[in-house]
Amino acid sequence: MHLVPLILYAAAAAAYMAHFSWRDPRTGRLATALLAGAVLAHTFLIGMQTVQAGHAPLVGTTAAISAFIWLLGLSYLYVELTTDERAMGVFVAVLLVVLYVIPALDPTVSPRPPLLQHPLFTVHIVSVLFAYASFALAFVLGVTYVLLFKEIKAKHLGFFYARLPSLQVLDVMNGRVITIGWTFLTIGLTAGVIWATQIQASPDPRAQAMGMGDPKILVALLSWGVYSFALFARRAIGWSGRRAAWLSAIAFVIVLLNFVPVGYFLTTSHNF
Amino acid sequence: MRLFAVGLSHRSAPVELREVVDFARGGLESALTALAARGIGPESVVLSTCNRAEVYALAESDAASEHIARFFADYHEIDHGRVVEHLYVHRGPEAARHLFRVAAGLDSLVVGEPQILGQVKTAFTTAQSLNATGAVTNRLFQSAFTVGKRVRNETGLGEGAVSVSFAAIALAKKIFGDLTGLGVLILGAGEMAKLTGVHLRAQQVRQITIASRTLATADGLARQLHGRAVPWAQLDVALGAADIVITATGATEPVLTRSRIEEAMRPRRSRPLFVIDIALPRDVEAAVGDLDQVFLYNIDDLQGIVQENLNRRSGELARAGAIVDEEVGRFAAWLQSREIIPTVVALRQRFEAIRLAELDRLGPKMSSLPPEARARLDEITHLIVEKLLLTPTEQLKAVTDDAMVVAYSDALNRLFSLAVDERRARSVEESSESDGAPRSGRPPKVQAR
Repeated sequence: MHLVPLILYAAAAAAYMAHFSWRDPRTGRLATALLAGAVLAHTFLIGMQTVQAGHAPLVGTTAAISAFIWLLGLSYLYVELTTDERAMGVFVAVLLVVLYVIPALDPTVSPRPPLLQHPLFTVHIVSVLFAYASFALAFVLGVTYVLLFKEIKAKHLGFFYARLPSLQVLDVMNGRVITIGWTFLTIGLTAGVIWATQIQASPDPRAQAMGMGDPKILVALLSWGVYSFALFARRAIGWSGRRAAWLSAIAFVIVLLNFVPVGYFLTTSHNF
Repeated sequence: MRLFAVGLSHRSAPVELREVVDFARGGLESALTALAARGIGPESVVLSTCNRAEVYALAESDAASEHIARFFADYHEIDHGRVVEHLYVHRGPEAARHLFRVAAGLDSLVVGEPQILGQVKTAFTTAQSLNATGAVTNRLFQSAFTVGKRVRNETGLGEGAVSVSFAAIALAKKIFGDLTGLGVLILGAGEMAKLTGVHLRAQQVRQITIASRTLATADGLARQLHGRAVPWAQLDVALGAADIVITATGATEPVLTRSRIEEAMRPRRSRPLFVIDIALPRDVEAAVGDLDQVFLYNIDDLQGIVQENLNRRSGELARAGAIVDEEVGRFAAWLQSREIIPTVVALRQRFEAIRLAELDRLGPKMSSLPPEARARLDEITHLIVEKLLLTPTEQLKAVTDDAMVVAYSDALNRLFSLAVDERRARSVEESSESDGAPRSGRPPKVQAR
């Protein structure tokens, strides 16, 4: 069932690569169309899973990754269509394909335990995932900023110089997506905290483990701290440009670590 | 009817002659009017840029190129002999090839420069507004625009700046995005400083500040660039406000040292500074380039970029040439198919005439028939003629070989004693083409008489 979106995401990634290498406008449009097709197929799949399971597939790390991919694809398409800038697509599409391997290998939809049947849970998950999608875009913007910065600084104007938008544009976009991501992360974490206090009475050991001792929660708060610092540094002490780019790249690595290895192996409270 | 391209360019004529032969000086309209007054042919377009003067014309006789050459001399009131040795003449598809190469920037002094396409468009629209163009020149220039656009989109021919000033501006754009609202500081008041300043002015930067050791020279350049001059002593203040710094002083010691720029960068936080050192000897210490958010380029770096871009452009020539070939092929096929059209029209007219004559002859016998039957008869005979002509018409239109066109026309003329009168045929063709008759295979009069 996951095969169609996977193939489409992979085809889109290949088309974005071809477009990035040869800059043929038709290949670019094809890449966008393929990615839109992949997101559409993915939407359809999530819709079918929702109908079959009777709830949105948001339970468990695999489902969360699937939803994250979907949100990132959608957000990226929005950015591409509003800015008419395709250079970032290759990075985003590759990230999508790599992550999509996980839901493709484990297509089962986890049942929704009674513990999670609360609207705050949905708010928590969706906000956090949307924040992560924004941070993923910030990561791509940061990486491309550093690549372009290095080329200009080294006076070797080559591959990225010809393909990427200006440093200024990359920097401004980076600042914007981090602001959006931070806002949603704050909403998501707040919802999570409120909900966790509400279920303290539950006998479920996972409900009991909702605290600072759980690595998943700890690292999530850490990444909130890092992004808060990034926002503060940009506004108050003028950390834009290269520093902000590095910061957004490193911060997303923390997010990704929290998302995949911690989510699967280390957490004691978020293992549904 | 034949297509001609007659002209001179930087490749064929010295600058002294190009200065004189300039249709744009007196206005393209007057040149076109003067050309039309000579009655050389029904269609003409005059193209004039600082590096070329060309006339594209559709004319009856092969002597047209001579007439056009004479027009070049007479219009500019110079000796015919002086012009004619520098003129090139292209005919038929070769004329198209020449225009396509021009439109693509392949024939330009700086290969791939983009302005030429706009100039070709102006030449065409001016001619069009004076009704000097027709079916052939319309098609010719539309194809030229296609070539220009395709070469720009499908090859890297127009990519990369090929002058130091433009390379600097392209870099600035890659760093700052939009240049409007930026502050520019120019140190020194030399020719290169001025040139780069003029280009930056055209980018609508917010403020151009000029600092020179003598305030008077700074003032002079400031007036030319609509900027402001500051005394040398206020250099550090000016540095703090600038986003782009151009240094071109005659100083023998570096003016901008690392410590000086470091000091200037402190209050700027992460706001980048782009330093362009076009002075020889250098005005800026090389170590300045190591500072975070400072981009330092000197004249050698910029010339290196220009050279790289030029090399890349010449690498794209083959691809651009292939596009030109393809479009020339398409245009030539279209031109060729037009040449057979008089024969096609004459053939159709001949058949129609026979049909009408036969219907006329049978008129008295058919008078007893009801009108519907007569209408049916007219329709059937018409359909028979159409069916008979369908395949020959298609075959004829598909002929693209020059010799074959002549052979076919000749054979048809003899077999059906057509005796094509070109002018009459053309007028018929044009009137019938307007309601799409020859292509759809149905002549205009289908109704029963």
